[in-house]
Amino acid sequence: MTAPAIQVQAPLIQLNGITKVLKGQEEPRTILSGVDLTVHPGQSVAILGRSGSGKSTLLSLIGLFDRADEGQYFLHGNDITKLPERKAAALRSAEFGFVFQRFFLLKHLTAAQNVAMALVNGQGWSSRRKRKQQVMEALEQVGIAHLAKSKPARLSGGEQQRVAIARALVRQPRVILADEPTGALDTETGNLVVEVLLNTTRQGCGLVLVTHDHDHARKMGRVLELRDGRFN
Amino acid sequence: MFSGKLRSALVIGGQGIRARKLRTFLSMVSLFLGVLAVVTVQAGAEIAERAMLTDVELQAGKDGTVTGYIPGEKGAPGIVEATLKGRADAVAMISSKAIIGEPGLRPINEGGMPFEYANRGGDYQGPMVYCDAGGVCQEQKPQEKKPDGQAIEVSMVALTGDIRPFKPFRPVSGTWLDFASAPSLAPRIVLNEEAAKGLRQYRVPGEMMIDGATHHVTPQIVGVVEDGYPQPRVYLRLDELRTWMPAAAASSELDRFRGGGTGLEVYLQPGSHDLQQLLKAKLIGAGVDQKQVEFRVVNSKERMESELKIMRLIFLGMAFLVLLIGVAGILNVGLATVGERVEEFALRRAVGMSRMLLAGIVLAETLLTGLLTAALAIGAGAAGLQIALTLFGHRFPSLQGTTFPWEAGVAGVIAGLVAGVLGGLIPAIRAARIPIATVMRA
Ligand SMILES: Nc1ncnc2c1ncn2[C@@H]1O[C@H](COP(=O)(O)OP(=O)(O)OP(=O)(O)O)[C@@H](O)[C@H]1O
Ligand SMILES: [Mg+2]
Repeated sequence: MTAPAIQVQAPLIQLNGITKVLKGQEEPRTILSGVDLTVHPGQSVAILGRSGSGKSTLLSLIGLFDRADEGQYFLHGNDITKLPERKAAALRSAEFGFVFQRFFLLKHLTAAQNVAMALVNGQGWSSRRKRKQQVMEALEQVGIAHLAKSKPARLSGGEQQRVAIARALVRQPRVILADEPTGALDTETGNLVVEVLLNTTRQGCGLVLVTHDHDHARKMGRVLELRDGRFN
Repeated sequence: MFSGKLRSALVIGGQGIRARKLRTFLSMVSLFLGVLAVVTVQAGAEIAERAMLTDVELQAGKDGTVTGYIPGEKGAPGIVEATLKGRADAVAMISSKAIIGEPGLRPINEGGMPFEYANRGGDYQGPMVYCDAGGVCQEQKPQEKKPDGQAIEVSMVALTGDIRPFKPFRPVSGTWLDFASAPSLAPRIVLNEEAAKGLRQYRVPGEMMIDGATHHVTPQIVGVVEDGYPQPRVYLRLDELRTWMPAAAASSELDRFRGGGTGLEVYLQPGSHDLQQLLKAKLIGAGVDQKQVEFRVVNSKERMESELKIMRLIFLGMAFLVLLIGVAGILNVGLATVGERVEEFALRRAVGMSRMLLAGIVLAETLLTGLLTAALAIGAGAAGLQIALTLFGHRFPSLQGTTFPWEAGVAGVIAGLVAGVLGGLIPAIRAARIPIATVMRA
């Protein structure tokens, strides 16, 4: 009997020596210099760092909002360092879910329509019934299915952020990227939101959480601190 | 895949327009005026051109028609009549003098002039000298003065067929001559407006005297037409004329000098070259001077268009200025909207919308607005024209039967499209350039 082959699963996200230089009017400023990061499916990572240390910048590189100047980026072992924008858009739709400090709900749309926004983005098409079903599942997952028809103006901050999380989850992404999702919430509501996010990792989702709150950071599987453009 | 993009665009565009109804409406108002200006200028120019063309065609004949003026001497009328008999592609007008009214009197408008000028010129009856081609001159005795009375002089135009395919006479009242039926013994005549005016004004007896006719006749008037001539004229079928004036009266050079005699006009359809040659050969064979048998092609449209072109350009330039203001309005609103929707657009791209689709949606929203506006403006233009025609149409006979020219509709759609593209392109490019990371720093 031969020894069972060890199933080496490629990491969800692998960053090698990521560098980002900001080219403004003044002389170029290096925001990130040689960041390494690996996230496996079901793993959660907290990123700490003082304001201006480059946390959001790093998240925008992981989420393919922007490209690194140096280094390599592998997603499921595929090199996507130099992906053209059209394909990046498709990956943002299929692989990532985003949650931001401000909720960014469109105020002329209901909670359900705001969640459906991630489905109506030109990346494939599903019937109205299918969409409704997906939207309701996502809203149930964050515990606010009963608010589906409410406009954002009539929702509390915590409820709005949960609508935003439902929007991130509705396409069942493999990675959730959250940039200070509790920043605008009180402690209790913030805890609730972090619980909702952690729940997603139990279904194999990767989670990268940028936060200033050490209590929230401690709930993650790993805590990294960004300083002088790198983790130490 | 494509349908996914299109359907997404429809859903998002619909949501966007619904959320900004007032703004969409306001940008439409300015554009509406611009497109309406273009439509109006285009429609106005088309209608003016058509009206002018029908007036010109009334006198000179339809564009492309071949016309020939042939002296009515040396048996020419008979030759033309025999050659054109039964042909639909050519018609001859043989005109001579006729007097309607009491016999033996001097007509009110001697010489067949318009009634406006009748009895104005005084009675100059000085000596007249006529010289023939050989240089032999002789003095003409003044014609014996007939007593004035209730009679009018008209040009009597006998037709070998229906002239209207060549000259678009406009009906005023009654009917036009019927060339299909058997010739009637009592000749049917159609008056032009001036002749009708003379009959109405002077209440002359309905008896007609024709040079060279065997006896007087009482014609039946079947209708009145507008023919573009200021002089009084009556039209009748040549074959009906022949029933009481058997031979074509050939006129001499001297007759023509006096302003009388027989005149011959031939109208041929474009491309009837063989018929032209045949007529020419026969006439010259009969002894008509070759130089006097000339055919020429009517090209009134070409001459007129060059005159209209400058006017049209000036008005079109003004319309484009108005349209430009409309475009500036739509552009202004479009840019303001993009500024307001920066976060929405960044967010849409963050959740996976491609840059092209986003730009496409922004462009499509203004394009749709532009086309909708164009449709409204074209509708308004067409309705306005209808209203104007029912109110004022009867004053301008050449505008009768005018419909909204399709060229104006096309111009409106193009103006709407151009305005939509011009007004939507810059906002679309702006929208596509918004960095996605905006959502992290707002
Ligand atoms: N578009 C930009 N223009 C100018 N400077 C920028 C831009 N983006 C980022 N920066 C700069 O890069 C640095 C890192 O910014 P980043 O937003 O990543 O910090 P952060 O760690 O997320 O801070 P915070 O905790 O306050 O959100 C900052 O100094 C910021 O001023
Ligand atoms: Mg930040």
